[in-house]
Amino acid sequence: MAAIDTDLAVSPASATEPRWYPYALIAPAMITFVLVALVPFLFAVFISFHQMKYGRLGDFAGFENYGALLSDSRFWNSMAIAALFVAIAVPLEFMLGLAGALMLCRPIWGRSALVPLLFIPTTMAPIVVGLLWKIMLAGSWGLLSTNVIEPLGLVGEISIFASPDLALYALIFVDVWQWTPFMMLAFFAGLQALPVNPYRAAAVDGATPVQAFFRLTLPMMAPLLVVIGLLRLIDAFKVFDSIFILTGGGPGTSTEMPSVLAYKMTFEFWNIGEASALAVVVWLLFFAFCNVFYQLAKKKLNAF
Amino acid sequence: MSTGTERRQRAARQKVAWTLLAVAVALLVLFPVLWMASMMVKPSDVMFARPTVWLFTPTLEHFDYVIEQGFHLSLLTSLALGALSTALVVVLGTPAAYAFARYEMRGRDDLFLFILATRMAPPVCMVIPYYLIFARIGLLDSFAGLTLAYMTFNLSFYIWVLRSFCRDLPVELEEAALLEGWSRLQVFRRVVFPLLRNGIIATAMLCFIFAWNEFLFAFMLGGKAVKTLPVAIPTLITTQGVRWGEMAVVGMVALTPVMIAVFLLQRHIVRGLTMGAVKG
Amino acid sequence: MNRNGFTPRCRLLAGAALATGLLAGLAGPASAAWSYAEAAKPYKGTTIHVLDEITPLQETLAKLVPTFTEETGIKVEYELLNHFEVINKGQADMLSGRGYYDAIMLHGFQLGPMLDAGVLRPIDDLKANAALADPDFDEADLIEPAYKTTAFSGGKQYGFLNWNYNQIYWARGDLFGDPGEQAAFKAKYGYALAPATTFKQLRDIAEFFTRPAGATLAGKTLDSPFYGIVLEGIKGGSTFLSMWGNFIKSYGGDIVDADGHPTFDTPTNVEAIAAWAELWKFAPPGTAEYSLIDVPTVMGNGIAAQAIAWSDFVLGIDRPGASPYAGKFLYGAMPYKEGMEAKRSVEGEPSAIVISQASKNPEATFLFLQWLVEKQQQTKLLEAGQGGVPIRESSWSLPVMQDGPLAGMFKAMKSSLEVTTGKPKMPKFYELYDALTGISQEIGLGKLSPAEGAAKAQKAMLGICDPCLLK
Repeated sequence: MAAIDTDLAVSPASATEPRWYPYALIAPAMITFVLVALVPFLFAVFISFHQMKYGRLGDFAGFENYGALLSDSRFWNSMAIAALFVAIAVPLEFMLGLAGALMLCRPIWGRSALVPLLFIPTTMAPIVVGLLWKIMLAGSWGLLSTNVIEPLGLVGEISIFASPDLALYALIFVDVWQWTPFMMLAFFAGLQALPVNPYRAAAVDGATPVQAFFRLTLPMMAPLLVVIGLLRLIDAFKVFDSIFILTGGGPGTSTEMPSVLAYKMTFEFWNIGEASALAVVVWLLFFAFCNVFYQLAKKKLNAF
Repeated sequence: MSTGTERRQRAARQKVAWTLLAVAVALLVLFPVLWMASMMVKPSDVMFARPTVWLFTPTLEHFDYVIEQGFHLSLLTSLALGALSTALVVVLGTPAAYAFARYEMRGRDDLFLFILATRMAPPVCMVIPYYLIFARIGLLDSFAGLTLAYMTFNLSFYIWVLRSFCRDLPVELEEAALLEGWSRLQVFRRVVFPLLRNGIIATAMLCFIFAWNEFLFAFMLGGKAVKTLPVAIPTLITTQGVRWGEMAVVGMVALTPVMIAVFLLQRHIVRGLTMGAVKG
Repeated sequence: MNRNGFTPRCRLLAGAALATGLLAGLAGPASAAWSYAEAAKPYKGTTIHVLDEITPLQETLAKLVPTFTEETGIKVEYELLNHFEVINKGQADMLSGRGYYDAIMLHGFQLGPMLDAGVLRPIDDLKANAALADPDFDEADLIEPAYKTTAFSGGKQYGFLNWNYNQIYWARGDLFGDPGEQAAFKAKYGYALAPATTFKQLRDIAEFFTRPAGATLAGKTLDSPFYGIVLEGIKGGSTFLSMWGNFIKSYGGDIVDADGHPTFDTPTNVEAIAAWAELWKFAPPGTAEYSLIDVPTVMGNGIAAQAIAWSDFVLGIDRPGASPYAGKFLYGAMPYKEGMEAKRSVEGEPSAIVISQASKNPEATFLFLQWLVEKQQQTKLLEAGQGGVPIRESSWSLPVMQDGPLAGMFKAMKSSLEVTTGKPKMPKFYELYDALTGISQEIGLGKLSPAEGAAKAQKAMLGICDPCLLK
């Protein structure tokens, strides 16, 4: 092994392959992306430059839809809410998920039963999750409301989802409940795939588990942590179903995330032009963010 | 230095402590789910009684409606669609993830970001463009249409996640095999694939969950022929109130196939050798 | 308002249809035999797709649909989806011109936007076609003013009346009958405790029954707070619609004038909104999150004395096994502004199943829609469902409506339906609804005073449309 290692250290794998080989490997996936994702997206971009009331393509409208969207304070309000939502929910899910994954890596009886059980919240349809937390927290009839929150006077005069101050945090809580197990399972799989030898060596060197975590686990896990965190961030931004069931975007506009606004533009106002403009704007923001994030993660964490 | 017995005792004590912690966490997290499970057999008139009714005579009344309305068919549809779309993702995505991890390519970073870019636009905005295109080419209400639509979010997820698993593969083994004169396909099948299996299974499982729970596309692009469980569930919310008991039945029954799958597949994820054992 | 414009024309059409029937009747034996089997002959074997909203009412109807196929040979794919799904999917199907659905249930408020989009097929020609129209249809029997204000626009007819949702007053009869409570109420307010008929009574009763945990209610100590009234208050739902249809209009106001110009901030409206907002003080702390999911649940749990609710909610709660208080509820028509009974208005959502412009089978679809509304089907529907929400005047006299356990509720419903109208046809209904429901909620929560809210709402309306009615 060692001999091969040194031999090939100078000539990476690709040197022995024809140059088209990697392109052939990615071609089927890339063609699929172009057909099922890029084409509809370009169609949306096209729509965003046209009038499209009632779903019918009208006249070319230049940047009219963009102007209407960007000058609408509701849009910026929704972006701010989404930023807050993501900034709280994703780090929580990330840390709790990692903690859970590390816990599952410890010796535990019945782990094979615990893993699927702990995964349950993620496997539930978001609409059921919304209803479930309604059953728990609904004012005056929810299980926790009537047995814990209201008798102890925890939230005062107004129920949680009816309160402009609390509703968003309650939705964040629901999101954390649903998606932490997702992070946990992904990280657990990642931890289980780590090579064992470095840990053996560290144990021989007398490293404590905490040292091993920071010196070995975190760096080796970095690629997966970064990817899962980024993907979750993108998805958390798009959360919709639980809000729809629990608050409808209210009270007032306190939980009106961009997806709720987009839902109204699409299915209520049938202003597809503006909804498409929203898609493009959100897309551009994410694209810029992901680019920066990617470069940073690549340089600082060697994650890609 | 501690003796063998002491070490074993300490290990046993630790195992008890960790197990207790894990069970406590599970109970805390799953408390609402347990409550929903009880609602499956709870009579409607005490469902939300105040004060809460904890003990009741179980009833099976909520099951009748669920069967009558064909929810089991939706369950099968969801399973089939989830399996089909996940399988396609694995077939298309595995070579791509491997290539992105292993090879230098011109514009690799750009292509890789392009993949992620396909899932950045909010699906609520994208569903009408899809609907219009699918209506034009006759893909509405078909398995093929939904499978394709699911590629947009699952294939990108799969490639991105699996790529980070690919990075842990030891290059040396592949190189050695190539030098032995194996074909690339052989190397991929006999060396790469077995090593990647954990990652593939874990990632595919997460993709399946996304497909399993997806609502918006399934609702707008599906229909009477392809009606998944998340699309069927809202019919339990009527303007005469929610059929809570039935909702609990559907919600809980929907968990079982996924639980069984995770239970069966996790042995591929778990290496058998826990890190605690290595470190401790 | 536009809806006043087409009444004479309707009568004319109805008359024409009737005349056709009579003429046909005189013409000879062939016409006497008008039957669905005969009328459907050219369309035998056709399959039509119909989308409707799922509630137990429609599920009962779904069981009757196969008899139409037996009678006519026309196959009907009758699909039931949830409220939001019907709206989203139905509108997408029509607007995209896909035409998968031949007929789609539209709530009254959807008619404005969909007419504006021009995707509904008028049925006047079908109705005038003697081969298709049942001479014994008895159009005059359809409940008014719901029918005329819903199914017609711009001199054309777009459907019949299929669902007739309406709100009623719902209260706890056991509490109202308690002698101790009656005496206490009389002592405090100077009149007898009885189901509210005016907004003032509604408010007084709500105040009277709002009690903290530890207080006494009908001789028993409460271990949790009790509330005077339950209202829908979520962003969306019927929060704003209830304020508009029940309060603003009963006070003699409206949100637009006859030409469709916004009039949200009139003093009359502000007064009505204040009356509505005051009720929030006597409502549970979760009112701002209460949707149609919560109101029946809360009322069925017995933690409130009264509710303003959709009458079909009651059908789900006031039956044995559904609520421990089943059989103890009482009902009344929606209260009105004291001294203004003549102006009383009740929120309702009469709906019609309309034929999509893209339908390839309008004749067969028309036959089905007409069949659904026939007296015979309506009777079967109400009997099979042990009551329901009628669309025909003649249905009120059915034994199931008169003598069943919910007879009192149906009486209240009848009274509400005497004044329930369809929504004015507003192309920008959703934009208005979206803006106004949020403002209503803020007024209810006390974040805006009624006057501030009305001013904000007026400004929002002017930013959306002026005039707001379909031309």
